[in-house]
Amino acid sequence: MIKHPTLTAALASLFLSACSGEAPVPNSPTEPAAEILTIYSARHYDSDQTLYDAYEAQTGVTIEVREAKADQLLETLKAEGANSPADLVIVSDAGALWRFKQAGLTRGVQDNRLEALIPEPYRDADGHWFGLSRRIRLLAYDPTEHSPSDIAHWGQLASPARAGEICVRSSSNIYNLSLMAEMIERIGPEAAESWARGVAANMARNPQGGDTDQLRAVAAGQCSVAIVNHYYWVRLAQSADTQDQEVARRTTLLVPEFGDGEGAHVNITGAAITASTDQVARAADFLTFLLSSEGQRLLTVETKELPLTDQTDLAEGVETLPPFTPSQVPLRVLGENQADAQRLFDLAGWN
Amino acid sequence: MRQAPPFSLERYTLLQILIAGLIALPVFTAIWYGLTTGGNLAWDHILTHRLGPYTLTTLMVLFLTGTLACILAIPLAWLVSLYDFPFRRVMEWGLILPLAIPGYVLAYAWADLAGVAGPIQAGLREVTGLSARDYWFPNVFSIPGLSGILALTLFPYVYITARAAFTTQSLATLEAGRCLGASGWHLFWRVGLPAARPAVLAGLSLVLMEAAADYGAADYLGVQTLGVGIVRAWTSFGEPATAARLALVLISLAFAFLIVSKLATGAAGSQQTSYRWTTPARTQLTTGTGFAVLAYFLLILSFSFGLPVTRLIWLSLATSATASSLMSALTSSLSLAAMGATLAFMCSLVMVLASHYSRRGAWPIRLAAASGYAAPGVVLGLGGLFLLKASGQALTGGLAIGLLVWIYASRFTSAGTEPLFAALSRAPASLDQATRSLGVTGALRFWRVDLPLLAPGALAGGLILFVEILKELPATLMLRPFGWDTLAVRAHAYASDERLASATLPALLITLSGLVPVILLSRQMTQMGDRIR
Repeated sequence: MIKHPTLTAALASLFLSACSGEAPVPNSPTEPAAEILTIYSARHYDSDQTLYDAYEAQTGVTIEVREAKADQLLETLKAEGANSPADLVIVSDAGALWRFKQAGLTRGVQDNRLEALIPEPYRDADGHWFGLSRRIRLLAYDPTEHSPSDIAHWGQLASPARAGEICVRSSSNIYNLSLMAEMIERIGPEAAESWARGVAANMARNPQGGDTDQLRAVAAGQCSVAIVNHYYWVRLAQSADTQDQEVARRTTLLVPEFGDGEGAHVNITGAAITASTDQVARAADFLTFLLSSEGQRLLTVETKELPLTDQTDLAEGVETLPPFTPSQVPLRVLGENQADAQRLFDLAGWN
Repeated sequence: MRQAPPFSLERYTLLQILIAGLIALPVFTAIWYGLTTGGNLAWDHILTHRLGPYTLTTLMVLFLTGTLACILAIPLAWLVSLYDFPFRRVMEWGLILPLAIPGYVLAYAWADLAGVAGPIQAGLREVTGLSARDYWFPNVFSIPGLSGILALTLFPYVYITARAAFTTQSLATLEAGRCLGASGWHLFWRVGLPAARPAVLAGLSLVLMEAAADYGAADYLGVQTLGVGIVRAWTSFGEPATAARLALVLISLAFAFLIVSKLATGAAGSQQTSYRWTTPARTQLTTGTGFAVLAYFLLILSFSFGLPVTRLIWLSLATSATASSLMSALTSSLSLAAMGATLAFMCSLVMVLASHYSRRGAWPIRLAAASGYAAPGVVLGLGGLFLLKASGQALTGGLAIGLLVWIYASRFTSAGTEPLFAALSRAPASLDQATRSLGVTGALRFWRVDLPLLAPGALAGGLILFVEILKELPATLMLRPFGWDTLAVRAHAYASDERLASATLPALLITLSGLVPVILLSRQMTQMGDRIR
């Protein structure tokens, strides 16, 4: 059918321009009078709307949002090229931010306010992306089955002593890929693969469902250790549903260390200013708002993530987390090693 | 038996090629991009280590889903067509209701119901005092689990086509079978089923295409099908080109099945000889047997619709989310489905009429037209983005809607052609001969002969398209313009964030919006059956 790219291009533009003339546009933005900030976001929280509303009320700027998965937003930006309306991208993974930068879709922005607000490990050295909030990946275990010393290191999950005890979701999930990416950086690909092989051998069941499902499985007694992000546990603990609260009561959190030293596996939700935007100052101003006390509170109130700047106003329930020291491994590693992580998971038999 | 073209031959072939091109362009753009983009590190890895397992898993899921769908649908269609039992008429249309539930929603609901932490297993542990490791329980998160769920949501396709075949098959055939001493099971196996084989295969091909293109249910249940592998190649490895290459494998599988089923249908060569006494008289079952049959219908209906929907309603009551916050999503869903169904239906109609009037059985054209239905929505979404790139525009406003509607048509036109073909093929050969001997040609022939024949199929095709597009997720997620979040997009947003309770309300609204056209479809089907009688 397609013999030549220009033919495709011609057909596509012919058809699409024909469409653009006819199709109804109910929500067409009002013309340039109002300033519009366009955000491509991989987050799907109702509280984000409150956040946007607050910024709109403060500044009179209209915010337009496209929500989709990070990879889809990346392809959309690529396809739109210089014509993209997007000024900002918000995604919930450092590896994804790295990919946007690698694809040349982000712009290096030097902004003193942002640099002052964000601790160095949580932003790109060239200003291509900025962290907004944090999360840790940790273990939730059944305290009647394990003492903390059994599982204090990630490496101990691969020990034959843990056979049939572990519940975890599929390897293609970004949280597992990020964890594995850091593991590769710390102990090398070979050791990381054999670690994954050991964990896969110890699983109580095939990887399935989400993190919350793993917590419920521990509470139900199908396994005794689950690998999860902290906020899924916090959300169950804070839930209005008594069964959810019961799941949290039956499980204890532990932040495991890596074998080679201290540091919990931390990932971020972050933002990047797009290469195609002509509103750098406006976008940076919005980021400054997200990093303000109010912005940080609204960003984390529903998600139960950890704030990045203002630690005084933690989302309800987050204060119960065990203390931890963040890892010193640079966050870009999570992106650099992501494909390797999936490859090694595949070889190790972690589905 | 081909019919004389009312207009010129070339025009119809050209029209077919045009529509097939419109359908195939996004698919082949994605695949062309996949094959020509270099530097795919993941491709070698996937080829060596994953392609085999992905393909094997997919084949197993397809085999099980197809088998289960037939086991569920064919006896139900047979019973409803030839026997009378309590509430037969309600059951007759009720069995189509599962079509309104998207596969991924049924997967969420059953995973929640039958999972280790769900009410069934929790109740079991409470009653028996066992721990979760002490007993065996059917695992939803498995190849059989996924196949069962896909079969439960897709079996109505086989039911619809098989029921149509059983109710309209020539009375003479069945009576001849009865005269020869066949009855009950024997009549079903030796007479009814062979005559219905083309219809069953038509329904089955819809089931298998839908199952092959599934991503949402397989991903949630942790089953590594090709559909899941395609997305993983893109998201984990960051290589959409590799994803598009993998899609080629999936499309080849689908084509292989289409060709095999076409050959099988051709070999059956059943030809209706009469259109007059079509529906056989129903045998009245004894009270006991009648209620047993009713219980069986209710069992299947509760597994495929009643239980999961009740669970979703139960969960949605626990959330604070209100339906009013979903009004704009509902409007977007309905308008996009209406636009998409309109374009896809026009494509279907032109394809079917053009192939009906043209002498040549244009196989390459039919396959090209089916390529969209065989491709997963994500791949079509990618194709859409590549087309957008070629056009040099931004994904906004009317252009985005136009692109999305085009992708819908590309994805679903094949689903709309099946009922139309079925409607045309129901006409006995003698009708064609009579038309010709009366010298009816051209536009007159279309209005007086073909249109009345097509009408019931057209309604069925349009409604199926509407419901399928209403449930569509991946392409909508990728291509919708600002402010056009559909119900499926909202449900996915919550579900992907593990807030199943919040996801239930949009999921229920999809089902509810799908119910109206599905019930229309059911009524139209049953009324037509009665009218023919």
